[in-house]
Amino acid sequence: MFTAATMCAMPSLTPYSPPRQSMRHALKGTWTDRLLLLASVICIVGAWYLVQAAVAAGPVVADIYHADTLLATYPLPQRGAVPIHFQAKGELGISEIVIDAQGARIVSSPCATQRCVLSGAHKHAGDMVACVPNRILVALRGRGETAFDAVVE
Amino acid sequence: MQDTAIIRPSLPQLESTARWLALLMLAIGLHIFEASLPSLGPWFKPGLANLVTLLALALMGPRAALSLAIGRVIVGSFFIGTLFTPTFVMSMAGALTAATVMIAAWRWIPGISLVGISLLGAVAHMLAQFMSVEYLFIRQPALFYALPPLLLLSCISGWINGALAGYIAGRLGHEKKQ
Repeated sequence: MFTAATMCAMPSLTPYSPPRQSMRHALKGTWTDRLLLLASVICIVGAWYLVQAAVAAGPVVADIYHADTLLATYPLPQRGAVPIHFQAKGELGISEIVIDAQGARIVSSPCATQRCVLSGAHKHAGDMVACVPNRILVALRGRGETAFDAVVE
Repeated sequence: MQDTAIIRPSLPQLESTARWLALLMLAIGLHIFEASLPSLGPWFKPGLANLVTLLALALMGPRAALSLAIGRVIVGSFFIGTLFTPTFVMSMAGALTAATVMIAAWRWIPGISLVGISLLGAVAHMLAQFMSVEYLFIRQPALFYALPPLLLLSCISGWINGALAGYIAGRLGHEKKQ
């Protein structure tokens, strides 16, 4: 019979037995962990610097791509200017993109979850909005106010 | 008269299977829960489902961890309705890469704990997702604009998840010994 007593008597299946420790102690990690964290952060910050150096040049513009094709490039309009409406044809259908003073956003897309639509407008250099099922990407570059801000489906 | 012997699995095998299935159910639940969370960034999730993969690695070994990663993506995607969609491909690429990197780190990096393993897994997961999208769906380097800050977030979430996994694995191991 499969009882608690027989379970306790069974040989251990555990290939690794971590020591019992408090959460506070677990958060400290080992020296190897800290070195790995340091190396990762240095690499990531270096990559971030390189990306920003490549992206931040000229006025802020929105590049609209379908897969490997650049469909259009538009500068972000000033406040009060006429919004730009662009229909990007993707794998599933048409994604409608609006570029106005608030930034670039996907207002409709044929994807299932609509996360790209729900993500709203993006106006900072380095931002992007992507609809992966429809293979549409809107990426912003230029010397604008830079902040991390991107949502995709 | 012919003897018909029923081959039954041993109790340790049954215990191992039951434990793996329990972890799989937990991972699927967390996979679905994470899919319902508001997005913090492109394809960024807290990595709670990956925490279960890490637990499976610590408690049951590499084979269990890898099969659990594959199983939870397939079943989880089935329930959230993304099976065989680009989202599924990204999830599978991320989960497989993270599991492989965590197994390699567990085996070959001396002095590493679950915290470091989780850190590497989280970074690998994010990188794999971006690379799979760039390679398979949207072939634009512009995709990588958002990658560095997301990798930093992955480092934080990976570190916390690793500490959680170490805490839980320590307690589970202790309970088992009693």
